[in-house]
Amino acid sequence: MLPCSWGLWRSAIHTLKTFRASPSARGLCIPTRAVCDAETIFALSSGHGRCGVAVVRVSGPASSMVLRNMAGLTQALPPPRTALLRRITDPQSKELLDRGLVLWFKGPHSFTGEDSAEFHIHGGPAVITAVLQALGSLEGVRPAEAGEFTRRAFHAGKLGLTEVEGLGDLIHAETEAQRRQALRQMDGELGRLYQDWSYRLKRCLAHVEAFIDFSEDELIEDGVLNQVDSSVRQLETEIERHLKDERRGERLRTGVQVVIAGATNAGKSSLLNTLCQRPAAIVSPIAGTTRDIVETSLDIGGFPVLLSDTAGLRDSSDSVEREGVRRARQRVEQADLTLVVVDSTQLPPDPQLVPAFLQEHLSTVLPSPEAGMKAASDRVLLVLNKSDLVPEEQRERTEGELRERPGLPPACFLSCSTSTGLEDFLTVLQSRVKTLCGDPLSGAPSLTQARHRAHLQQSVQALNQYHQYRDQDLALAAEGVRLALTHLGRITGRVGAEEILDIIFRDFCIGK
Amino acid sequence: MLAQKLHLLRHNVLSFVSSRTGSDLTRRQYDVIVVGGGHAGTEAAAAAARLGAETLLITQKIMTIGALSCNPSLGGVGKGQLVREVDALDGLCGRAGDSAGVHFSILNRSKGPAVWGPRAQLDRERYRQFIQSELLSTPRLTVLEGSVDELLVSQPNPEEPGHHRVTGIRLVDGSHPILSSSVVLTTGTFLSGSLFMGQTTSPGGRMGDAQSCAGLSYTLKETLGLRVGRLRTGTPPRIVKESVDLSLAQLQAPDKQPTPFSFLNTHTRCKPEEQLPCYLTHTTPGVERVVRESVHLNCHIQQDTKGPRYCPSIESRVLRFPGRRHQVWLEPEGLTSDLLYPQGLSMTMPPDLQLRLLREIPALHRAEIRAPGYGVQYDFVCPTQLTPSLQVKSTQGLFLAGQINGTTGYEEAAAQGLWAGVNAGRTALSLPPIALSRTQSYIGVLIDDLVGRGVTEPYRMFTSRAEFRTYLRPDNADLRLTPRGFEEVGCVTLRRYKKAVSVRDGLQEALMALQSVALSSTRWREKLGNISLSENKSTTLNGLDLLQYKDVSFEMLASAFPECLSQYFEYSQRLKIEAVYRPHCEKQSREMERIRSEESLSLPSDMDYLSLPVSLSHEVREILDRVRPNTLGAATRLPGMTPAGIIHLLNYVLRTGQRNRHTEHRNRSSQKEGGKGQLCASNIPISQ
Repeated sequence: MLPCSWGLWRSAIHTLKTFRASPSARGLCIPTRAVCDAETIFALSSGHGRCGVAVVRVSGPASSMVLRNMAGLTQALPPPRTALLRRITDPQSKELLDRGLVLWFKGPHSFTGEDSAEFHIHGGPAVITAVLQALGSLEGVRPAEAGEFTRRAFHAGKLGLTEVEGLGDLIHAETEAQRRQALRQMDGELGRLYQDWSYRLKRCLAHVEAFIDFSEDELIEDGVLNQVDSSVRQLETEIERHLKDERRGERLRTGVQVVIAGATNAGKSSLLNTLCQRPAAIVSPIAGTTRDIVETSLDIGGFPVLLSDTAGLRDSSDSVEREGVRRARQRVEQADLTLVVVDSTQLPPDPQLVPAFLQEHLSTVLPSPEAGMKAASDRVLLVLNKSDLVPEEQRERTEGELRERPGLPPACFLSCSTSTGLEDFLTVLQSRVKTLCGDPLSGAPSLTQARHRAHLQQSVQALNQYHQYRDQDLALAAEGVRLALTHLGRITGRVGAEEILDIIFRDFCIGK
Repeated sequence: MLAQKLHLLRHNVLSFVSSRTGSDLTRRQYDVIVVGGGHAGTEAAAAAARLGAETLLITQKIMTIGALSCNPSLGGVGKGQLVREVDALDGLCGRAGDSAGVHFSILNRSKGPAVWGPRAQLDRERYRQFIQSELLSTPRLTVLEGSVDELLVSQPNPEEPGHHRVTGIRLVDGSHPILSSSVVLTTGTFLSGSLFMGQTTSPGGRMGDAQSCAGLSYTLKETLGLRVGRLRTGTPPRIVKESVDLSLAQLQAPDKQPTPFSFLNTHTRCKPEEQLPCYLTHTTPGVERVVRESVHLNCHIQQDTKGPRYCPSIESRVLRFPGRRHQVWLEPEGLTSDLLYPQGLSMTMPPDLQLRLLREIPALHRAEIRAPGYGVQYDFVCPTQLTPSLQVKSTQGLFLAGQINGTTGYEEAAAQGLWAGVNAGRTALSLPPIALSRTQSYIGVLIDDLVGRGVTEPYRMFTSRAEFRTYLRPDNADLRLTPRGFEEVGCVTLRRYKKAVSVRDGLQEALMALQSVALSSTRWREKLGNISLSENKSTTLNGLDLLQYKDVSFEMLASAFPECLSQYFEYSQRLKIEAVYRPHCEKQSREMERIRSEESLSLPSDMDYLSLPVSLSHEVREILDRVRPNTLGAATRLPGMTPAGIIHLLNYVLRTGQRNRHTEHRNRSSQKEGGKGQLCASNIPISQ
């Protein structure tokens, strides 16, 4: 089966309602409200990748709310179909995201026939990601499924049946692209992670279902549920952590925080100046020249970087310098990437002693030992400055010693004064920054990530229902797990009742 | 007329008239003929007759009508829901269970009312008697003893889909055919059935009964070209009660207060204190040893025909999960029976080894076997060849229900039987077929799963198969189905309908009364004592909101507001359940709506998917051609179906539907014009 999302099917079917009156609700417990209000959806409607202007479209009953919140329109909405230049802000943080044109389309006079809004924003990936994430944070608003705008238009009678003929092809193309994209994503680490969650959740559900459908007459002990409890809790923690951890889009928006740290006089400010190719920071042979944070924005390989130079770390009696050191340490703690600058001339002359020396040195620079060890692998680069002052032969032997040293971050010899080794260092730095941002140019990660995020959040919410009803009503608790699986299934593929039964019969001997 | 028929029936049942004598007495033309007198057949015959169709039930042995061939119990988790639904549609099995039950218990009591499983151990004799006397008193229903040799088919009605039309049956020893508009086949395990015990195999569907259905089998496979598969099942040996040392088994008491299956009953025939206990015991390593030693003497277990994974023989349990202790329930067979039924010990090894195996279990160390266990292999018709009304797609008027469709279990059979009987009756009375939605009932889930996906092993109902389990509850089956059963389907009697309507109105009033009492949470705490409410002090809560809380019962609320609530005491349990589930059901309404609209769009059964002029991939065409889904909903659930495929299909169906409407419209308007023209023409001479 295609790993296409279930939501797509659902939306396809919704179009039917135009032609069939919904059966009237009868009976006591049939909810009297026939159909809930449609959800509001959004999507990047222009092409992915870099472009001058990007169009983000919103459709659904909450469109006017979206427009008010994002474009700061406290009073009346603009006249329909009139472009208006507005500051576009994040509805939660009120942070400015972009300045762009907003348009308001009052239903039924819109493409979808519903209330709609359009944001014409700058086409950079960072801006697009920021706007999409801001939209996703609004209640009742979710990323659109492939072809959903078109289907809604069809639903509202805005498209003739002949035009729908093209819709199938469109969806085919989109799902094909989605499928390829999903395959590509699912091939990676993230895919394995989601698949693993989905599998574990399936087992949880199967075990709850086994307990419901069979436990009374079978040898299924209460212990099964305790196992499920802890599995569900574990999954919740993991998904929540994943949601928090995933700051790539945000980094792309605000820039990667790169902090230069190290002992005094190691050449930190020289590194900053070298990187930004201008004397942004004062450089002197006097230890403790830099006392406050010096910040500068850089473009490294197309990614925004916020580079900070910090005071050299040492115990000082000077209260101003002490404050500088405190700020430096604080900045290192918040950094996405720390460049630890070491004066090469201070390295032990015996290359074999260098790794231990650097290890020791890192522990004084980085916040806490355990964090230091963890961060060392991917959040730290060692810059061995003043390489021109070290004999060539000693440098080469040291490099050999440092190559592929587990537990130590990559180290680069560099001379800020002669620029020797700068190319190699920049290559390493760029690849690090790229990893931290994700690659916005391959496929449309911002879009899919926003969709993933929405589904993951809903999964976590649904799992809460499990705990809430665990002791009160197992049917409702199971409903929570089932819902969580449905949401996860929209990323990884649908899960049917038969699959759950397969797990039940594999894991338990059902004898009745 | 009626009296005469009743007399005939009485004659048939009570005097065990042979088919020849019977055929002399019976007419030669019926609306509906039902073949088979098991759970499916009896429900089908009764439902068709309730609908108003002249119905004939043909069975090999009148004595075995309503016999419990396997376990002496009814209901359970998922199955109990089916019994309640069959009862809500005025079927027999719920009331039969209340009459025959000797041990009632609600399974899953602690897990939430949506998954409660009403269950009862039955007295086989009482069950049979109830069913037989019920059929006896059903107007328009005739029972005939005989074996059906052949299904009569003719050219189809060209205005409806299908390649054949059923016209009646011919009995093995009756030269004259018996004609009917529809036929319901409920032949159970008798379709090419073979019995297995040890290394011996004999033809038949149940030990002690005649083999049969060779002719039917031929008609289905060869004449109608239906695809069949093969399944297997089994039954345990029956043990002499006196030979069992029950002191070595664990006593399992029934509920103190039996809960009836039927919405019509307030109590069961068996008094609470008359109930019989069950006993629980376990297998030992010795049991496993006997199984392993006897594998080479056991034909049934060596064959790879699909058996159920959830009701396996002791042989397959031991072989699949070795080194474990397996549960064995010793169940009473009835109030006066001297036998025990060892649930979980279905086996097919030679009888001497069966005895050896039993005696490896401490409580059974002196056990005597009255009748040995055996296995059955039988043909089933792949149910994807049926419509949601359980009619064979290719054959107008032919309906199938029960094990012939690949299901297992009395309740599953009864549910299908009822629905097949309803539709067979409707067809005979020239009413359109009718389907039950999976959003409305377990019966709908059952049939939709069968006809939409088919089976690979005997199909049994589980609550996990129902997406809307929190709505499809045993407590509200009457509200879900009875009004519709009366108003739309026609299978519910007025008496039951009136009762359901009065319950519905009463509950509705009670819910409104609950909503009318609103207080701040502080005031509620004062009124009800120390209850934990999560809402903050100023929030206003009504009685229905409050009833959602675990610790709040309707009785508490009624004592706080006696003047407006105490009159609804009889509904207290139902109100509590309703309050807890209602918010969740409302959340699901959107999803329900989607499934219902999917189900409402039917795909023509004669659609030529391979040459359909829309862009569908070859894979998708082949899938559609093979399964031929009845509705768009069924199509979306097919593995391998793509979203694009669904859209194209939807578009095609809508387009052709619209074109048809256009043509109809044109036809109508041209008729009108024609009429006008005529009028003018006739006017002319007058004016001249």
